[in-house]
Amino acid sequence: MKLLIEFIVSFLSTVGFGIITNVPRRALLPAGIAGSISWICYYLLIGNGTHIFLPNFVAAVVIGVLGNIGAVLRKVPVNTIYVPSLVSLVPGAIIFLGMKNFTSGNTGIAQQEFLNTVLIALALALGFLCSEAVAKPIRAKIQELNRS
Amino acid sequence: MDRNHENQVIELCGQVGKILLVNGAEIPRVEETVEYIGHSAGVAISCYVTLTAIFISVDTEPMTHVVKTNPGSFNLQKVDEINELSREFVAQEIGFDELSRHVAQVDRKVIDFNWPSKIIGAGLVSVAPMLLFRTAWSDLAMAFWIGIVGYLAAMYVKKIAAIPFIGEVVGGFSVALLALLVVHFGWANNSNNIIISALMPLVPGVPITNAFREIIAGHLISGVMRTINALLVAGFIGSGVILAGLLFRAVFGV
Repeated sequence: MKLLIEFIVSFLSTVGFGIITNVPRRALLPAGIAGSISWICYYLLIGNGTHIFLPNFVAAVVIGVLGNIGAVLRKVPVNTIYVPSLVSLVPGAIIFLGMKNFTSGNTGIAQQEFLNTVLIALALALGFLCSEAVAKPIRAKIQELNRS
Repeated sequence: MDRNHENQVIELCGQVGKILLVNGAEIPRVEETVEYIGHSAGVAISCYVTLTAIFISVDTEPMTHVVKTNPGSFNLQKVDEINELSREFVAQEIGFDELSRHVAQVDRKVIDFNWPSKIIGAGLVSVAPMLLFRTAWSDLAMAFWIGIVGYLAAMYVKKIAAIPFIGEVVGGFSVALLALLVVHFGWANNSNNIIISALMPLVPGVPITNAFREIIAGHLISGVMRTINALLVAGFIGSGVILAGLLFRAVFGV
């Protein structure tokens, strides 16, 4: 039940961000699916008490693979799926907190939050890098199937 | 190949690059698309892109076209349309004249979701999955509405005032002030959670992730520029929130 609510909320969040960033209409559904499935992976891993690196990495790999599949099927640039589906994972809130603490003089906490921001962003970027390697053969396969 | 044609090609390529870059395409995609279009038009060009400038140079002649840009916001629909056009051009489904006409159209046209759906979109983003089951449902419901107000305030101020980052300050300020007020009047429990959740449409999470992707891909200059820009955006939102806190304390004395 909890999982279902997480799924729905992250789906809506992704679609909402897709609307704000004005993605092509036909990219909304695959983006929503990629966003919510990756969020579920993140949620399950972080629930086990894993350190933040692995959950973010795995979630980015999931977005990368699903995003590439969606991009081929719906004929959209893959970035139009990446951007909205990242919204629940990215370190936006934490960089804001870091900057807020920095401005109000709590530099100790701010430091920790900045480092976490860098770590999360690195994990996500590395995840995308790895997913490209997995996605390339999948992409070629789908295109082949589409042609025949 | 005559000079005139080369001029037209690099001018069009500059326009294409600018549309892609300002509307949120990744740097490698911009460079790739521009070079593809040039080669298909019969002019060998090299393209180098940073976040604030596009350099397009003809390989065989000492001719360079520079386009200056400002970091823009996301409008991925335009990226998609340019992408589609360049694919058709490379596949020789449309000619050069047709391409330049369509590109000019995409540049002028305002392609956007209508305001009601944008408002609902902003509200949906403001309910962060990060905070589910950690904060009361009533707080998340508040965040939905406050997030909408913050997003609209930021967008409106950005449109009317030409001061850099003013939209972020006003967005952070209005979100924090409203959150503090609803907690003060007892309509919600935790103002900090509401603020974090309702700021989701404004915080630069996606840019900072893209910045790291670019740095890893070897586009160091744009990656670092994007990181600094994201830090500034976050910093100005943070100052807006702090200003709201100071004002609240001065008025209500808590």
